[in-house]
Amino acid sequence: MSDGDGKDTVKFLSEKENLLSKRKKKRLGTDEFAQAIARIAVAQVCESLGFQSFQQSALDTLADVGVRYIRELGKTALAFANLANRSQCNVFDVIQGLEDLGSVQGFSGASDVNHPLSGSGVVRDIIRYVCQAEEIPFAYLLPVFPVVKERTLNPSFAQAEENPPDEHIPSWLPKFPDPETYVDLSSGNEKDTEKEVVNKNQQVEEQHIKVERPLLNLQQKLICNGSEAGIAVEQVDAAKAQRAAESNPFLAPPIQFGEKEVSVPALPAKLSDDTLGYHQSCEVLESNLLALEPSLQANEAAASGPCEPQDSRKILLNGRPNIHFKFGNRKKSLGMVTSPRNEGIEKSSLWFGDDCDEIDKKRRRAEKVLWENTEYPPEASYL
Amino acid sequence: MNGQSSQQQPKDGRHDDDAALTEFLASLMDYTPTIPDELVEHYLAKSGFQCPDVRLTRLVAVATQKFIADVATDALQQCKARQSAVIKDKRDKQQKDKRLILTMEDLSKALREYGVNVKHQEYFADSPSAGLDAASREE
Repeated sequence: MSDGDGKDTVKFLSEKENLLSKRKKKRLGTDEFAQAIARIAVAQVCESLGFQSFQQSALDTLADVGVRYIRELGKTALAFANLANRSQCNVFDVIQGLEDLGSVQGFSGASDVNHPLSGSGVVRDIIRYVCQAEEIPFAYLLPVFPVVKERTLNPSFAQAEENPPDEHIPSWLPKFPDPETYVDLSSGNEKDTEKEVVNKNQQVEEQHIKVERPLLNLQQKLICNGSEAGIAVEQVDAAKAQRAAESNPFLAPPIQFGEKEVSVPALPAKLSDDTLGYHQSCEVLESNLLALEPSLQANEAAASGPCEPQDSRKILLNGRPNIHFKFGNRKKSLGMVTSPRNEGIEKSSLWFGDDCDEIDKKRRRAEKVLWENTEYPPEASYL
Repeated sequence: MNGQSSQQQPKDGRHDDDAALTEFLASLMDYTPTIPDELVEHYLAKSGFQCPDVRLTRLVAVATQKFIADVATDALQQCKARQSAVIKDKRDKQQKDKRLILTMEDLSKALREYGVNVKHQEYFADSPSAGLDAASREE
Protein backbone atom coordinates (compact mmCIF):
# COMPACT_ATOMS: atom_id res chain seq x y z
CA MET A 1 0.00 0.00 0.00
CA SER A 2 1.41 3.32 -1.01
CA ASP A 3 1.45 6.29 1.28
CA GLY A 4 -1.18 8.06 -0.74
CA ASP A 5 -3.64 5.24 -0.29
CA GLY A 6 -2.92 5.03 3.40
CA LYS A 7 -3.67 8.72 3.88
CA ASP A 8 -6.92 8.40 2.03
CA THR A 9 -8.02 5.49 4.14
CA VAL A 10 -7.08 7.32 7.31
CA LYS A 11 -9.09 10.32 6.18
CA PHE A 12 -12.00 8.06 5.32
CA LEU A 13 -11.78 6.49 8.74
CA SER A 14 -11.73 9.80 10.52
CA GLU A 15 -14.78 10.94 8.61
CA LYS A 16 -16.57 7.77 9.46
CA GLU A 17 -15.68 8.12 13.10
CA ASN A 18 -17.00 11.66 13.05
CA LEU A 19 -20.24 10.45 11.60
CA LEU A 20 -20.45 7.68 14.15
CA SER A 21 -19.74 10.06 16.99
CA LYS A 22 -22.38 12.43 15.65
CA ARG A 23 -24.83 9.58 15.50
CA LYS A 24 -23.92 8.63 19.04
CA LYS A 25 -24.51 12.17 20.20
CA LYS A 26 -27.89 12.28 18.55
CA ARG A 27 -28.95 9.01 20.12
CA LEU A 28 -29.92 10.16 23.59
CA GLY A 29 -30.70 7.28 25.90
CA THR A 30 -32.43 7.62 29.18
CA ASP A 31 -29.20 7.45 31.16
CA GLU A 32 -26.83 9.46 29.00
CA PHE A 33 -26.11 12.11 31.58
CA ALA A 34 -25.30 9.69 34.36
CA GLN A 35 -23.16 7.57 32.09
CA ALA A 36 -21.22 10.58 30.94
CA ILE A 37 -20.51 11.54 34.52
CA ALA A 38 -19.43 8.01 35.30
CA ARG A 39 -17.06 8.15 32.37
CA ILE A 40 -15.46 11.33 33.67
CA ALA A 41 -15.09 9.93 37.17
CA VAL A 42 -13.51 6.71 35.93
CA ALA A 43 -11.16 8.67 33.71
CA GLN A 44 -10.05 10.69 36.70
CA VAL A 45 -9.39 7.55 38.70
CA CYS A 46 -7.36 6.01 35.90
CA GLU A 47 -5.41 9.19 35.36
CA SER A 48 -4.37 9.24 39.00
CA LEU A 49 -2.94 5.76 38.55
CA GLY A 50 -0.74 6.74 35.64
CA PHE A 51 -2.70 6.29 32.44
CA GLN A 52 -2.15 9.10 30.00
CA SER A 53 -4.83 8.40 27.44
CA PHE A 54 -7.65 6.00 26.82
CA GLN A 55 -9.28 4.18 24.02
CA GLN A 56 -12.83 5.44 23.76
CA SER A 57 -14.35 1.97 23.86
CA ALA A 58 -12.15 0.92 26.78
CA LEU A 59 -13.21 3.94 28.80
CA ASP A 60 -16.86 3.30 28.00
CA THR A 61 -16.52 -0.31 29.04
CA LEU A 62 -14.83 0.47 32.32
CA ALA A 63 -17.40 3.13 33.15
CA ASP A 64 -20.19 0.71 32.37
CA VAL A 65 -18.60 -1.92 34.59
CA GLY A 66 -18.31 0.61 37.40
CA VAL A 67 -21.96 1.56 37.07
CA ARG A 68 -22.98 -2.08 37.12
CA TYR A 69 -20.91 -2.57 40.24
CA ILE A 70 -22.81 0.18 42.02
CA ARG A 71 -26.15 -1.24 40.96
CA GLU A 72 -25.20 -4.77 41.90
CA LEU A 73 -24.03 -3.59 45.28
CA GLY A 74 -27.28 -1.78 45.88
CA LYS A 75 -29.33 -4.77 44.79
CA THR A 76 -27.41 -7.18 46.98
CA ALA A 77 -27.56 -4.90 50.00
CA LEU A 78 -31.29 -4.53 49.55
CA ALA A 79 -31.68 -8.29 49.29
CA PHE A 80 -29.83 -8.78 52.57
CA ALA A 81 -31.97 -6.14 54.24
CA ASN A 82 -35.15 -7.80 53.01
CA LEU A 83 -33.87 -11.13 54.26
CA ALA A 84 -33.56 -9.58 57.72
CA ASN A 85 -37.14 -8.33 57.49
CA ARG A 86 -36.16 -4.72 56.96
CA SER A 87 -36.90 -2.32 54.14
CA GLN A 88 -34.07 0.11 54.81
CA CYS A 89 -30.46 -0.94 54.44
CA ASN A 90 -27.78 -0.49 57.05
CA VAL A 91 -24.02 -0.75 57.02
CA PHE A 92 -23.95 -4.48 57.60
CA ASP A 93 -26.09 -5.06 54.55
CA VAL A 94 -23.60 -3.09 52.52
CA ILE A 95 -20.70 -5.02 53.97
CA GLN A 96 -22.38 -8.30 53.18
CA GLY A 97 -22.97 -7.07 49.66
CA LEU A 98 -19.32 -6.16 49.36
CA GLU A 99 -18.33 -9.59 50.51
CA ASP A 100 -20.66 -11.13 47.98
CA LEU A 101 -19.14 -9.18 45.14
CA GLY A 102 -15.63 -9.56 46.43
CA SER A 103 -15.89 -13.29 46.69
CA VAL A 104 -14.81 -13.60 43.06
CA GLN A 105 -11.43 -12.09 43.72
CA GLY A 106 -11.28 -13.19 47.30
CA PHE A 107 -10.48 -11.33 50.47
CA SER A 108 -8.83 -12.27 53.71
CA GLY A 109 -11.10 -14.05 56.12
CA ALA A 110 -13.56 -15.15 53.47
CA SER A 111 -13.39 -18.76 54.49
CA ASP A 112 -14.21 -17.97 58.08
CA VAL A 113 -17.97 -18.46 58.20
CA ASN A 114 -18.53 -16.96 61.61
CA HIS A 115 -16.40 -13.90 61.23
CA PRO A 116 -17.85 -10.63 62.47
CA LEU A 117 -18.97 -8.34 59.75
CA SER A 118 -17.47 -5.21 61.16
CA GLY A 119 -14.06 -6.76 61.08
CA SER A 120 -14.51 -8.17 57.62
CA GLY A 121 -11.66 -8.34 55.18
CA VAL A 122 -13.39 -6.10 52.69
CA VAL A 123 -13.73 -3.34 55.20
CA ARG A 124 -10.09 -3.55 56.05
CA ASP A 125 -9.19 -3.42 52.39
CA ILE A 126 -11.28 -0.35 51.89
CA ILE A 127 -9.77 1.34 54.90
CA ARG A 128 -6.34 0.57 53.56
CA TYR A 129 -7.24 1.96 50.19
CA VAL A 130 -8.60 5.15 51.64
CA CYS A 131 -5.51 5.68 53.67
CA GLN A 132 -3.04 5.28 50.83
CA ALA A 133 -4.97 6.72 47.87
CA GLU A 134 -4.88 10.40 47.18
CA GLU A 135 -8.07 12.29 47.40
CA ILE A 136 -9.29 13.43 44.02
CA PRO A 137 -12.57 15.29 44.08
CA PHE A 138 -14.83 15.09 41.09
CA ALA A 139 -14.01 17.65 38.43
CA TYR A 140 -17.44 19.23 38.15
CA LEU A 141 -20.18 20.42 40.40
CA LEU A 142 -23.24 18.30 40.03
CA PRO A 143 -26.86 19.08 40.74
CA VAL A 144 -29.07 16.49 42.32
CA PHE A 145 -30.37 14.46 39.44
CA PRO A 146 -32.72 13.36 38.05
CA VAL A 147 -34.50 16.64 38.53
CA VAL A 148 -38.06 16.19 39.67
CA LYS A 149 -40.44 18.60 38.02
CA GLU A 150 -43.09 20.07 40.26
CA ARG A 151 -46.52 19.32 38.93
CA THR A 152 -49.54 21.41 39.69
CA LEU A 153 -52.25 18.87 40.18
CA ASN A 154 -55.84 19.63 39.44
CA PRO A 155 -57.73 20.24 42.66
CA SER A 156 -60.25 17.70 43.74
CA PHE A 157 -63.85 18.45 44.54
CA ALA A 158 -63.12 18.40 48.23
CA GLN A 159 -60.12 20.68 47.87
CA ALA A 160 -62.04 23.17 45.81
CA GLU A 161 -64.90 22.91 48.28
CA GLU A 162 -67.37 22.13 45.58
CA ASN A 163 -70.08 19.57 45.54
CA PRO A 164 -69.77 17.03 42.78
CA PRO A 165 -72.66 17.37 40.34
CA ASP A 166 -73.93 13.82 40.75
CA GLU A 167 -74.15 11.38 43.59
CA HIS A 168 -72.06 8.75 41.94
CA ILE A 169 -68.98 11.00 41.78
CA PRO A 170 -66.90 10.93 44.99
CA SER A 171 -65.50 14.16 46.24
CA TRP A 172 -61.87 13.10 46.20
CA LEU A 173 -61.82 12.97 42.43
CA PRO A 174 -60.47 15.97 40.54
CA LYS A 175 -62.82 18.68 39.50
CA PHE A 176 -64.48 18.84 36.12
CA PRO A 177 -62.94 21.46 33.83
CA ASP A 178 -64.75 24.75 33.32
CA PRO A 179 -67.70 24.42 30.98
CA GLU A 180 -66.39 27.29 28.91
CA THR A 181 -63.51 25.21 27.72
CA TYR A 182 -65.57 22.62 25.95
CA VAL A 183 -68.87 24.24 24.92
CA ASP A 184 -69.24 25.19 21.21
CA LEU A 185 -69.82 28.86 20.54
CA SER A 186 -72.64 29.41 18.06
CA SER A 187 -71.97 33.11 17.45
CA GLY A 188 -68.97 34.58 15.69
CA ASN A 189 -67.81 34.90 12.08
CA GLU A 190 -64.93 32.54 12.41
CA LYS A 191 -67.12 29.81 13.67
CA ASP A 192 -69.50 30.28 10.76
CA THR A 193 -66.81 29.93 8.17
CA GLU A 194 -65.57 26.88 9.93
CA LYS A 195 -69.02 25.43 9.89
CA GLU A 196 -69.40 26.15 6.21
CA VAL A 197 -66.16 24.41 5.47
CA VAL A 198 -67.31 21.52 7.57
CA ASN A 199 -70.59 21.39 5.70
CA LYS A 200 -68.83 21.46 2.37
CA ASN A 201 -66.63 18.63 3.42
CA GLN A 202 -69.64 16.68 4.48
CA GLN A 203 -71.33 17.35 1.17
CA VAL A 204 -68.31 16.20 -0.75
CA GLU A 205 -68.20 13.10 1.36
CA GLU A 206 -71.84 12.45 0.66
CA GLN A 207 -71.18 12.86 -3.01
CA HIS A 208 -68.37 10.42 -2.83
CA ILE A 209 -70.61 7.88 -1.18
CA LYS A 210 -73.45 8.50 -3.56
CA VAL A 211 -71.28 8.24 -6.60
CA GLU A 212 -69.73 5.07 -5.37
CA ARG A 213 -73.04 3.40 -4.91
CA PRO A 214 -74.17 3.63 -8.54
CA LEU A 215 -70.75 2.43 -9.63
CA LEU A 216 -71.17 -0.67 -7.55
CA ASN A 217 -74.64 -1.17 -8.89
CA LEU A 218 -73.35 -0.86 -12.40
CA GLN A 219 -70.79 -3.53 -11.86
CA GLN A 220 -73.32 -5.88 -10.41
CA LYS A 221 -75.72 -5.36 -13.25
CA LEU A 222 -73.06 -5.86 -15.85
CA ILE A 223 -72.23 -9.10 -14.22
CA CYS A 224 -75.85 -10.19 -14.38
CA ASN A 225 -76.78 -9.05 -17.82
CA GLY A 226 -73.63 -9.39 -19.84
CA SER A 227 -73.42 -6.69 -22.42
CA GLU A 228 -76.76 -5.22 -21.56
CA ALA A 229 -75.62 -2.35 -19.45
CA GLY A 230 -78.62 -1.08 -17.60
CA ILE A 231 -77.24 1.55 -15.39
CA ALA A 232 -79.26 3.02 -12.61
CA VAL A 233 -77.97 6.42 -11.97
CA GLU A 234 -81.19 7.86 -10.65
CA GLN A 235 -79.83 8.18 -7.16
CA VAL A 236 -77.29 10.79 -8.11
CA ASP A 237 -78.56 14.32 -8.56
CA ALA A 238 -77.40 16.00 -11.70
CA ALA A 239 -76.06 18.99 -9.87
CA LYS A 240 -74.10 17.00 -7.38
CA ALA A 241 -72.77 14.79 -10.09
CA GLN A 242 -71.57 17.78 -11.97
CA ARG A 243 -69.89 19.14 -8.88
CA ALA A 244 -68.20 15.83 -8.28
CA ALA A 245 -67.12 15.63 -11.88
CA GLU A 246 -65.58 19.05 -11.65
CA SER A 247 -63.67 18.23 -8.54
CA ASN A 248 -62.50 14.77 -9.39
CA PRO A 249 -62.80 13.15 -12.80
CA PHE A 250 -62.61 9.68 -11.30
CA LEU A 251 -65.75 10.32 -9.33
CA ALA A 252 -67.78 11.33 -12.34
CA PRO A 253 -70.79 9.09 -12.99
CA PRO A 254 -70.17 6.45 -15.58
CA ILE A 255 -71.27 7.06 -19.15
CA GLN A 256 -74.40 5.24 -20.14
CA PHE A 257 -74.52 2.72 -22.92
CA GLY A 258 -74.94 4.39 -26.26
CA GLU A 259 -73.93 7.87 -25.06
CA LYS A 260 -70.51 7.73 -26.55
CA GLU A 261 -69.58 6.36 -29.92
CA VAL A 262 -67.09 3.60 -29.47
CA SER A 263 -65.44 1.98 -32.45
CA VAL A 264 -66.04 -1.72 -32.76
CA PRO A 265 -62.82 -3.69 -32.66
CA ALA A 266 -62.06 -5.14 -36.10
CA LEU A 267 -61.23 -8.79 -36.13
CA PRO A 268 -57.99 -9.51 -37.92
CA ALA A 269 -58.39 -11.02 -41.37
CA LYS A 270 -56.19 -13.84 -40.36
CA LEU A 271 -58.85 -15.23 -38.10
CA SER A 272 -61.46 -15.70 -40.78
CA ASP A 273 -59.11 -17.70 -43.02
CA ASP A 274 -57.97 -20.11 -40.39
CA THR A 275 -58.98 -23.75 -40.20
CA LEU A 276 -61.78 -25.12 -38.15
CA GLY A 277 -59.37 -26.57 -35.69
CA TYR A 278 -58.17 -23.19 -34.66
CA HIS A 279 -61.73 -21.99 -34.15
CA GLN A 280 -62.45 -24.97 -32.06
CA SER A 281 -59.44 -24.32 -29.93
CA CYS A 282 -60.51 -20.70 -29.50
CA GLU A 283 -63.88 -21.83 -28.37
CA VAL A 284 -62.32 -24.19 -25.93
CA LEU A 285 -60.27 -21.34 -24.52
CA GLU A 286 -63.31 -19.22 -24.09
CA SER A 287 -65.31 -21.87 -22.34
CA ASN A 288 -62.36 -22.62 -20.17
CA LEU A 289 -62.05 -19.01 -19.18
CA LEU A 290 -65.73 -18.66 -18.56
CA ALA A 291 -65.83 -21.68 -16.33
CA LEU A 292 -64.34 -21.40 -12.88
CA GLU A 293 -61.61 -23.63 -11.65
CA PRO A 294 -63.65 -25.36 -8.99
CA SER A 295 -66.26 -26.25 -11.53
CA LEU A 296 -63.51 -27.55 -13.77
CA GLN A 297 -62.17 -29.71 -11.05
CA ALA A 298 -65.61 -30.91 -10.11
CA ASN A 299 -66.34 -31.94 -13.62
CA GLU A 300 -63.08 -33.58 -14.49
CA ALA A 301 -64.43 -36.89 -13.42
CA ALA A 302 -67.65 -36.30 -15.30
CA ALA A 303 -66.02 -35.02 -18.48
CA SER A 304 -65.44 -37.65 -21.07
CA GLY A 305 -62.43 -36.16 -22.68
CA PRO A 306 -60.41 -34.22 -20.19
CA CYS A 307 -57.19 -34.58 -22.11
CA GLU A 308 -58.52 -33.01 -25.25
CA PRO A 309 -59.05 -29.54 -23.83
CA GLN A 310 -55.58 -29.66 -22.48
CA ASP A 311 -54.18 -30.37 -25.91
CA SER A 312 -56.17 -27.58 -27.38
CA ARG A 313 -54.94 -25.34 -24.64
CA LYS A 314 -51.43 -26.13 -25.72
CA ILE A 315 -52.27 -25.19 -29.29
CA LEU A 316 -53.69 -21.96 -28.03
CA LEU A 317 -50.44 -20.93 -26.45
CA ASN A 318 -48.87 -20.77 -29.86
CA GLY A 319 -51.74 -18.90 -31.45
CA ARG A 320 -53.08 -15.48 -30.52
CA PRO A 321 -56.80 -15.54 -29.87
CA ASN A 322 -59.02 -12.49 -29.70
CA ILE A 323 -59.31 -10.42 -26.59
CA HIS A 324 -62.62 -10.94 -24.86
CA PHE A 325 -63.84 -8.84 -22.00
CA LYS A 326 -64.61 -11.24 -19.25
CA PHE A 327 -66.99 -10.15 -16.54
CA GLY A 328 -66.12 -12.20 -13.55
CA ASN A 329 -68.90 -14.63 -13.00
CA ARG A 330 -68.95 -15.63 -9.39
CA LYS A 331 -71.77 -18.06 -9.75
CA LYS A 332 -70.53 -21.58 -9.75
CA SER A 333 -72.34 -23.85 -12.09
CA LEU A 334 -71.93 -27.54 -12.16
CA GLY A 335 -73.20 -27.58 -15.70
CA MET A 336 -70.05 -26.04 -17.17
CA VAL A 337 -67.98 -28.80 -18.70
CA THR A 338 -64.64 -28.11 -20.27
CA SER A 339 -64.99 -30.04 -23.49
CA PRO A 340 -67.43 -28.43 -25.86
CA ARG A 341 -67.29 -31.41 -28.15
CA ASN A 342 -69.52 -33.43 -25.89
CA GLU A 343 -73.00 -33.57 -27.24
CA GLY A 344 -74.39 -33.84 -23.79
CA ILE A 345 -73.30 -30.41 -22.73
CA GLU A 346 -76.48 -28.63 -23.45
CA LYS A 347 -78.51 -31.43 -21.97
CA SER A 348 -76.48 -31.47 -18.75
CA SER A 349 -76.69 -27.75 -18.44
CA LEU A 350 -80.41 -28.00 -18.60
CA TRP A 351 -80.39 -30.57 -15.81
CA PHE A 352 -78.65 -28.30 -13.38
CA GLY A 353 -81.11 -25.51 -13.20
CA ASP A 354 -81.39 -21.86 -13.93
CA ASP A 355 -77.95 -20.80 -12.94
CA CYS A 356 -76.60 -21.92 -16.24
CA ASP A 357 -79.00 -19.89 -18.33
CA GLU A 358 -77.14 -16.67 -17.89
CA ILE A 359 -73.83 -18.34 -18.46
CA ASP A 360 -75.14 -19.93 -21.61
CA LYS A 361 -76.49 -16.65 -22.83
CA LYS A 362 -73.15 -15.04 -22.26
CA ARG A 363 -71.35 -17.82 -24.02
CA ARG A 364 -73.62 -17.69 -27.01
CA ARG A 365 -73.30 -13.96 -27.24
CA ALA A 366 -69.54 -14.19 -27.09
CA GLU A 367 -69.60 -16.87 -29.73
CA LYS A 368 -71.71 -14.68 -31.93
CA VAL A 369 -69.11 -11.96 -31.69
CA LEU A 370 -66.40 -14.41 -32.46
CA TRP A 371 -68.09 -16.16 -35.32
CA GLU A 372 -69.43 -13.10 -37.04
CA ASN A 373 -66.94 -13.35 -39.83
CA THR A 374 -66.70 -17.05 -40.07
CA GLU A 375 -68.43 -19.14 -42.66
CA TYR A 376 -68.81 -22.27 -40.68
CA PRO A 377 -71.03 -22.09 -37.67
CA PRO A 378 -69.77 -23.81 -34.55
CA GLU A 379 -72.46 -26.47 -34.59
CA ALA A 380 -70.94 -28.03 -37.63
CA SER A 381 -67.74 -28.66 -35.79
CA TYR A 382 -69.38 -31.02 -33.38
CA LEU A 383 -68.93 -34.54 -34.44
CA MET B 1 -15.04 -18.13 84.07
CA ASN B 2 -13.09 -19.60 81.30
CA GLY B 3 -16.04 -19.36 79.07
CA GLN B 4 -16.59 -15.79 80.08
CA SER B 5 -12.99 -14.86 79.49
CA SER B 6 -13.01 -16.59 76.14
CA GLN B 7 -16.14 -14.75 75.30
CA GLN B 8 -14.73 -11.46 76.41
CA GLN B 9 -11.81 -11.54 74.04
CA PRO B 10 -13.93 -11.92 70.93
CA LYS B 11 -16.20 -9.25 72.31
CA ASP B 12 -13.23 -6.96 72.68
CA GLY B 13 -12.22 -7.84 69.18
CA ARG B 14 -15.68 -7.04 67.97
CA HIS B 15 -15.65 -3.83 69.86
CA ASP B 16 -12.41 -2.96 68.20
CA ASP B 17 -13.80 -3.83 64.87
CA ASP B 18 -16.93 -1.88 65.53
CA ALA B 19 -14.93 1.04 66.73
CA ALA B 20 -12.75 0.91 63.71
CA LEU B 21 -15.76 0.79 61.47
CA THR B 22 -17.41 3.68 63.20
CA GLU B 23 -14.24 5.68 62.97
CA PHE B 24 -13.88 4.88 59.36
CA LEU B 25 -17.40 5.90 58.55
CA ALA B 26 -16.88 9.14 60.35
CA SER B 27 -13.69 9.77 58.46
CA LEU B 28 -15.52 9.17 55.23
CA MET B 29 -17.31 12.42 55.64
CA ASP B 30 -13.97 14.21 55.35
CA TYR B 31 -12.78 12.18 52.42
CA THR B 32 -14.33 13.06 49.09
CA PRO B 33 -14.46 10.09 46.75
CA THR B 34 -13.84 10.70 43.09
CA ILE B 35 -17.19 9.22 42.18
CA PRO B 36 -19.68 11.92 43.08
CA ASP B 37 -22.39 11.30 45.62
CA GLU B 38 -25.21 12.27 43.29
CA LEU B 39 -24.23 9.64 40.75
CA VAL B 40 -24.01 6.94 43.38
CA GLU B 41 -27.33 7.92 44.87
CA HIS B 42 -28.96 7.87 41.44
CA TYR B 43 -27.84 4.34 40.68
CA LEU B 44 -28.55 3.07 44.17
CA ALA B 45 -32.04 4.47 43.95
CA LYS B 46 -32.44 2.72 40.61
CA SER B 47 -31.65 -0.60 42.20
CA GLY B 48 -33.93 0.00 45.18
CA PHE B 49 -31.35 0.77 47.81
CA GLN B 50 -32.95 2.99 50.41
CA CYS B 51 -30.90 4.72 53.04
CA PRO B 52 -30.95 8.31 54.16
CA ASP B 53 -27.49 7.99 55.67
CA VAL B 54 -24.87 9.78 53.61
CA ARG B 55 -22.07 7.70 55.04
CA LEU B 56 -23.40 4.58 53.42
CA THR B 57 -23.46 6.19 50.00
CA ARG B 58 -19.92 7.35 50.63
CA LEU B 59 -18.99 3.80 51.57
CA VAL B 60 -20.46 2.51 48.34
CA ALA B 61 -18.68 5.23 46.39
CA VAL B 62 -15.36 4.41 47.96
CA ALA B 63 -15.86 0.70 47.38
CA THR B 64 -16.58 1.31 43.70
CA GLN B 65 -13.59 3.56 43.41
CA LYS B 66 -11.41 0.90 44.92
CA PHE B 67 -12.81 -1.68 42.52
CA ILE B 68 -12.12 0.48 39.49
CA ALA B 69 -8.69 1.34 40.76
CA ASP B 70 -7.89 -2.34 41.15
CA VAL B 71 -9.01 -3.12 37.62
CA ALA B 72 -7.12 -0.16 36.21
CA THR B 73 -3.99 -1.14 38.09
CA ASP B 74 -4.14 -4.62 36.63
CA ALA B 75 -4.62 -3.16 33.16
CA LEU B 76 -1.66 -0.86 33.73
CA GLN B 77 0.49 -3.78 34.72
CA GLN B 78 -0.56 -5.59 31.57
CA CYS B 79 0.29 -2.57 29.47
CA LYS B 80 3.70 -2.18 31.07
CA ALA B 81 4.41 -5.87 30.67
CA ARG B 82 3.59 -5.63 26.98
CA GLN B 83 5.83 -2.63 26.53
CA SER B 84 8.77 -4.24 28.27
CA ALA B 85 8.39 -7.25 26.01
CA VAL B 86 9.04 -5.12 22.92
CA ILE B 87 12.78 -4.74 22.75
CA LYS B 88 13.20 -4.12 19.05
CA ASP B 89 13.93 -0.44 18.54
CA LYS B 90 15.25 1.69 21.36
CA ARG B 91 13.57 4.71 19.86
CA ASP B 92 10.19 3.04 19.75
CA LYS B 93 10.51 1.87 23.32
CA GLN B 94 11.21 5.34 24.53
CA GLN B 95 8.27 6.70 22.66
CA LYS B 96 5.96 4.03 24.00
CA ASP B 97 7.13 4.47 27.56
CA LYS B 98 5.85 8.00 27.55
CA ARG B 99 2.36 7.01 26.49
CA LEU B 100 0.39 4.61 28.60
CA ILE B 101 -2.90 3.91 26.91
CA LEU B 102 -5.80 2.01 28.36
CA THR B 103 -6.66 -0.43 25.59
CA MET B 104 -9.44 -2.93 25.28
CA GLU B 105 -7.02 -5.82 25.23
CA ASP B 106 -5.48 -4.95 28.57
CA LEU B 107 -8.84 -4.13 30.05
CA SER B 108 -10.41 -7.39 28.99
CA LYS B 109 -7.51 -9.36 30.44
CA ALA B 110 -7.74 -7.45 33.71
CA LEU B 111 -11.50 -7.78 33.96
CA ARG B 112 -11.43 -11.50 33.31
CA GLU B 113 -9.90 -12.05 36.74
CA TYR B 114 -12.78 -10.20 38.31
CA GLY B 115 -15.33 -12.38 36.59
CA VAL B 116 -16.30 -9.86 33.92
CA ASN B 117 -15.97 -11.27 30.43
CA VAL B 118 -15.46 -8.51 27.92
CA LYS B 119 -14.94 -9.50 24.34
CA HIS B 120 -14.60 -6.85 21.69
CA GLN B 121 -14.32 -7.13 17.95
CA GLU B 122 -10.86 -7.12 16.57
CA TYR B 123 -11.87 -4.94 13.67
CA PHE B 124 -14.85 -3.90 11.63
CA ALA B 125 -14.45 -4.62 7.94
CA ASP B 126 -15.83 -1.31 6.78
CA SER B 127 -12.75 0.06 5.07
CA PRO B 128 -9.81 -1.41 3.21
CA SER B 129 -7.35 -0.77 6.01
CA ALA B 130 -9.47 -2.41 8.71
CA GLY B 131 -7.57 -4.79 10.92
CA LEU B 132 -4.19 -4.00 9.49
CA ASP B 133 -2.76 -1.97 12.31
CA ALA B 134 -5.26 -1.78 15.12
CA ALA B 135 -3.09 -0.11 17.79
CA SER B 136 -1.98 2.84 15.71
CA ARG B 137 -5.47 3.32 14.29
CA GLU B 138 -7.14 3.76 17.65
CA GLU B 139 -4.70 6.44 18.75
